[in-house]
Amino acid sequence: MKPLPESWRFDAIGTVWTIDSADVVSDVQRAAVADLVATVDRTWSRFREDGGVARLRAGESVDLGPEAARLLGLYDLLHDVTDGAVNPLVGGGLEVLGYDAAYTLRQHGDPVAAPAWSSATRDGSVLTVPAGAVLDVGAAGKGWLVDRVAALLVAGGHSTTVDAGGDIAHHGAAPIRVALEHPRDPTMAVGVATLEPGKALCGSAVNRRTWGEGLHHVLDARTGAPTRGVVATWVVATTAAVADGAATALFFAEPDRLVDLGIAAVWIDATGLHSTPDFPGEVFA
Amino acid sequence: MTLPRTKKMVLSGAAVTILLLTAACGGESDDSTSDSGSSSESTTDAVEDTSSDAATTYTAGDYTAEGSYQTPGGQQSVEVEVTLAEDGTISAVTVTPQADGGNSEQFQTKFAGGIADEVVGTKIDDLDVSKVSGSSLTSGGFNAAIDEIKDEAAA
Repeated sequence: MKPLPESWRFDAIGTVWTIDSADVVSDVQRAAVADLVATVDRTWSRFREDGGVARLRAGESVDLGPEAARLLGLYDLLHDVTDGAVNPLVGGGLEVLGYDAAYTLRQHGDPVAAPAWSSATRDGSVLTVPAGAVLDVGAAGKGWLVDRVAALLVAGGHSTTVDAGGDIAHHGAAPIRVALEHPRDPTMAVGVATLEPGKALCGSAVNRRTWGEGLHHVLDARTGAPTRGVVATWVVATTAAVADGAATALFFAEPDRLVDLGIAAVWIDATGLHSTPDFPGEVFA
Repeated sequence: MTLPRTKKMVLSGAAVTILLLTAACGGESDDSTSDSGSSSESTTDAVEDTSSDAATTYTAGDYTAEGSYQTPGGQQSVEVEVTLAEDGTISAVTVTPQADGGNSEQFQTKFAGGIADEVVGTKIDDLDVSKVSGSSLTSGGFNAAIDEIKDEAAA
């Protein structure tokens, strides 16, 4: 088997991207990826004053662009299987806890429940939310972007693996093995996933973005308070969007409620490490 | 999508605040725990390391550190005990909440229960893997506390 000669690294949306490909990614292709990432950031980032999220907040109807319907449709599903705990209008709740555009990282009020997702209206890729509501697609947006970057490269003839900070879409020729990093010790692994071509793996851990006692980025939208109980999750699915979203949903829902998504999962809660019987790989506990 | 534009600020915020297991490395001393606070100490016999290669080695043993931090509910603290091997492998961690009640105690107890049982794993260096999926890119305080303990134990 030919080794992968090309490993392209760059920083975007607050994480490190590593793109491995069997062939050199051309300058034109790199520019296309950079343009896609920049466009998505401008449209969807909660941290930009000039973007789609800010315009939605001001009460405008906003066309969120290609594949918006796929991402928002996934949110419909995640919302349902978590009884509303996952809701992309959770952005205001994150701001109250200090995870805001200015990174104040200081809680400045009691947790607030998100506006009902049913209060948003949608026509294709055009979304309207109640004025003042803050869209945050942190639950599944990174995986969705990983899929889009991978699709761009695959369409350009690449056999590739796209990795955004451990959220991975594998479109290479042979399976790869991915360590599931211990939530408390990055030199250790709690298991290894075997990722077949065409599969994606995403993880979520509440210590990833933590800025105070009990303050982290996985909020229960129904209360606006950070979730308790589950420490870390990993999900294998056929798309990174689904894997990413399900990895968040597992903080709120039993895995059997996510079965329709076709996922396999590993998670750590206060009682230990668990996995679904079909998880591709091994766990050490 | 949460799209942080300045990850370093997140890291520094996390490093300052998360669970303040790091308080032993730089936080103020807590009068009520002045005997054990803000210190690391070996509680087992040290093993002298005689290797001379370039790899960092550590004095194996059990180490404890206590951290204190300020919350709206008052001063809180936790005690962390780590069993460290000479090669830096952590084979056990115990986190003991010292909180005095209320929500803080409840959270600390859950947190401690969540990690203490599960911190034992396999060293990634010993695994045949090509990638890692996890939290090291943005995690903060706990690893810093572990690093601090390792520094003090470095042979």
